[in-house]
Amino acid sequence: MSLSAGTLPRPAESGDGEHRRPRIVTSKQRVTWVTAALLLVLVAGIVWSLSIGSQHIPLTRLPGAIFKPDETDELIVHSIRLPRVVLALCVGAALAVAGALMQAVAANPLAAPEIMGVNAGAVLVVVLAVTIVPSLSGAPTILLAFGGAAAAGISVMLLAGSGRGRVSPVRLALAGVTASSLLISLTQVLIIFDENSTDSVLFWLVGGVNYAGWHDIRILLPWLVFGLLGSFALARSLNLLALGDDMARGLGQNVERTRIFGSALVIVLCGAAVSVAGPVAFIGLIVPHILRRLVGSSYTVLLPLCSIGGGVLILYADVVSRYVRPPYEVPAGVVTALIGAPIFVYLARRQKVTS
Amino acid sequence: MTSTTIVAQYVRRTTLAQRHPKVLMGSLGALAVVLSFYSLSVGATEVSMGDVFNALVGDTTDQAARIVLDFQLPRVLLCWLVGIALAVSGGVMQGVIRNPLAAPDVIGVTKGAGFAGMLLLLAIPGLPVFAVVPAAFAGGLGAAALVYLFAYRRGATPVRIALVGIAVSAAFEAGIRFLLVRNPLDVSAALIWLTGSLFGRSMSSVLEILPWVLVLVPLIVIWSRKLDVLGLGDDLAAGLGEPVEKTRRMLLLFAVALAASAVAVSGTIGFIGLIAPHMARRVFGGRHLASIPAAGLFGVLLMLFADMLGRGLAPPLEIPTGLVTAVIGGPYFLYLLVKTGK
Repeated sequence: MSLSAGTLPRPAESGDGEHRRPRIVTSKQRVTWVTAALLLVLVAGIVWSLSIGSQHIPLTRLPGAIFKPDETDELIVHSIRLPRVVLALCVGAALAVAGALMQAVAANPLAAPEIMGVNAGAVLVVVLAVTIVPSLSGAPTILLAFGGAAAAGISVMLLAGSGRGRVSPVRLALAGVTASSLLISLTQVLIIFDENSTDSVLFWLVGGVNYAGWHDIRILLPWLVFGLLGSFALARSLNLLALGDDMARGLGQNVERTRIFGSALVIVLCGAAVSVAGPVAFIGLIVPHILRRLVGSSYTVLLPLCSIGGGVLILYADVVSRYVRPPYEVPAGVVTALIGAPIFVYLARRQKVTS
Repeated sequence: MTSTTIVAQYVRRTTLAQRHPKVLMGSLGALAVVLSFYSLSVGATEVSMGDVFNALVGDTTDQAARIVLDFQLPRVLLCWLVGIALAVSGGVMQGVIRNPLAAPDVIGVTKGAGFAGMLLLLAIPGLPVFAVVPAAFAGGLGAAALVYLFAYRRGATPVRIALVGIAVSAAFEAGIRFLLVRNPLDVSAALIWLTGSLFGRSMSSVLEILPWVLVLVPLIVIWSRKLDVLGLGDDLAAGLGEPVEKTRRMLLLFAVALAASAVAVSGTIGFIGLIAPHMARRVFGGRHLASIPAAGLFGVLLMLFADMLGRGLAPPLEIPTGLVTAVIGGPYFLYLLVKTGK
């Protein structure tokens, strides 16, 4: 799929009219600008996130703190704030890319891990496992989370799709949200049996990176790399899928195989992210939508940008969440939910979704 | 959902209810009363049926009687009032919007009311709790108005209202969570606002919701004819001399007020307003004179059942009633969704 400006029916600089029709490809220049802006925002966010907190650490000491931590302040940065930043970026990348994948695979603008019950399923299974075997952590938890995510996602698809050939976006969303609320309720029941602190309730309900440690990242990283590379490799097939099943088949695509691979990647990405950071809300819904507006819907461009954009969103949500109730740490998911819910309202309102 | 399927849903009746609606209604009521007595005796401390009876007829000296009167009785009464309020509110909404998926929790009223109530409680800490009802009412009404506004685009279709309602609910729920972390309450208070619970409620809560139920529910039952007429569609209803918009607005206002008063005392208990009217319609048919009171009774039964399950499953731990209703109601809603798709 060519990305050169010459193939555009309508150049990106054409003013207001460009928003009326979704663009498949966008000019290379625009993609470069968006990427550069994202990276800039990312770097600023990392520096901000490292320097603020109950202990303020000046910018000049950050390099030393990252590479050669000696004093207390520098150790704070190295062992508390740096893992937090890295985990925010990893989890954001996983959830945002998973959201974009789901939207492509389900051909449904409202598909997202938190709406389809995938995150809730993963959380329920993880909480259940930890309740039964308190010592459980690391790799087995992630595998269980995959199971929960897969079971929930597949059940919702089956429920929404039963009775008719094509699943309408709104039915999928209704089934998914109801299934999510059911799974979340069950999770809360388990938490009440197990522990009685608002913090743990909030962590498993809204998700966040405030308890991040290096070992969380070590657990997440292999799955994340596998999931991201797999998604990027699938991007061209997803572009063809966006043309419609018949067209994609006509162009020699194995549509079913693309869907199955895509779904498997969603489960890997969401299960891994949720089992270390909880269900951080709305990342998978809003990041792909915002970026699609900026760079068009070619997945070869969209997926890599989502992996940056998701990280940026959680990073900033985490920074903002530290201002909510200082000196306490608040889960970043509270902030992402506040940002994401109005965007969800906007998406739900659109004609395309509900007609 | 096409209009024919809605009409079909309204016309369908099971034969037993058709022949003996009063008998069936009476036995449902009796079942609720029996369940209430049983509910008075279960809990963290078991009280025998005999003691329950003694406490109720006036022997209030011993400890068992205190438990029954101070802790169990307000709960059971609240189950009745909250169940009736939510179920009748849902029944009215489903009739007025002509939407089987409408309910106070689906169209955002419960979360909006919960958010406003919590906001007020946190803003003015020493506030007497009865002041929460007007705030919750305003929040519920605001949320419903938002949903209608956002969903309206050349008419508001049932699914669009449901979807926008979910989105608006999500926004208010995010707000509730934000308030929770901004102003940490203890866990039980937090759970009351997140999921709905009848834990630790006293007679004063009963008195807060009682007037709303006593005034609004009879009014709605008297107006049930109007609901039937609205169910025929706007044109036909107008042809029959009904001021459609005015009636619809009044009825919706009543429904929101009922739901808001329930939320003010018990937090956001979900799914009762959605599934109780459906059960009532299945058993008693679509005439609102029968289905609205029946929905109330089903609401009471569901609440009693959920509350007992929450208390009795693992004493002394309490599972919030709202969680139990979600676990019961979620699958029922999914079943409805699957059914309406066919």
